[in-house]
Amino acid sequence: MIRGERFAARVRAGFLFSVLAAAALALSGCVSLPQSGALREAPPADLPRKAELTAVPFHVQDDFLCGPATLAMVFNAAGVKADVAGLTPQVYLPGRQGSLQVEMLGATRRNGLLAYQVPPRLEGVLREVAAGTPVVVLLNLSVRLLPLWHYAVVIGYDLDAGEVVLRSGKRERLAYPAGLFEFLWQDSAHWAMVALPPGRVAASAEEPGFAAAVAALEQAGKRGEARASYRALLERWPTSHIGLIGLGNTEYAMGNKAGAEAAFRRAALAHRDSAVAYNNLAHVLSELGRLVDAEAAARHAVSLGGPLQPEARKTLEAILARRAQAPAR
Amino acid sequence: MTLSFIRIISRILVACMIVLPFQASAGLIGTDQAVSAAQAAAARDRVVRLIERTEVARQLQAYGLTPENAKLRVNALTGSEVAQLAARLDSVPAGANGTGAVFLIAAVVLIVWLFWS
Repeated sequence: MIRGERFAARVRAGFLFSVLAAAALALSGCVSLPQSGALREAPPADLPRKAELTAVPFHVQDDFLCGPATLAMVFNAAGVKADVAGLTPQVYLPGRQGSLQVEMLGATRRNGLLAYQVPPRLEGVLREVAAGTPVVVLLNLSVRLLPLWHYAVVIGYDLDAGEVVLRSGKRERLAYPAGLFEFLWQDSAHWAMVALPPGRVAASAEEPGFAAAVAALEQAGKRGEARASYRALLERWPTSHIGLIGLGNTEYAMGNKAGAEAAFRRAALAHRDSAVAYNNLAHVLSELGRLVDAEAAARHAVSLGGPLQPEARKTLEAILARRAQAPAR
Repeated sequence: MTLSFIRIISRILVACMIVLPFQASAGLIGTDQAVSAAQAAAARDRVVRLIERTEVARQLQAYGLTPENAKLRVNALTGSEVAQLAARLDSVPAGANGTGAVFLIAAVVLIVWLFWS
């Protein structure tokens, strides 16, 4: 009896010690946690002190299914119906007993949402949350040599309390000290993603990465959704090359040739050295029957040289052939 | 014709079947091509990417997906994402476990404490 009590006391003491040791390990100087430190020292003035997206629904995770569970939560938050059972065949990889990062992005696109990988900074993640978007993060719950990779959803933070709030595994609400969160997050090279409804620009968006994310949505076959996101992107960055080319290509794919022409013309004016802009403008003008303008644009595209010159030359030849057939125009 | 030559040709053909439906209309240069902005050797790049795509689809099947599902999933990825997987699909992180974070480190320390104290 006494032995049992002493053993229990030892277990309790040991548990307390080990939690303290783990916390100390995570927070002590032996690991450098610059991001949470910087946020504590000098938080950006325009970042709200705290936020929590309590309306983000919770999907409990079974065994290895944190990928589908976290996606279901952020999809629901973006207004798309989804559950773990439906998403498992889209993202879970049986042979790896887990879900790959790029497939998390791919599955998001398949569901008509824009998958944007947030720049690897804690501040960017918090900005997304402050703007109302929950963020999927990849954590390593173990040591670097024997990683235990785990997806969780950041739904809140409190700068004064120094906390990051997660939905994770079987826990609907889990508040970690910011330093511990950064410690667990760093092994994934601070990997984080958001799933945005078409037409919304991420709070942490940077132009090249965000434009590439929209182009990926277009490439996955979601043209109408991509078009809405290109438009939003162009409101923020009106001369974005990828934005203008993408808008033109999606307008064309959706059957709006006048819209495509307008977008390619904007691209050509803003980027005189873009063979893509002039080639695509030439092609659309040709289809609209304006062969003289088309030929001029195609000749400019060819004159720019570069790796796309063969395509531009093909476009020019097609236009010249059409002009030969219809010399009057 | 050697076997490896036949294998490469058949991979290119399978790749074409997967990717061609997603090409932009003839005459237009696709946005994805504009994205791979450096654009050095763009044409050669495209062939390599087609082969990578079939290769990754094949590996996903080896990890337990049906051929149709592997194709659908690969087609949701960009060229550079496929390239990442093609290089090391067996070693990239696969997020899975859901137990509390500190508790794993804590468990190790606890075991050490119980046995050595």
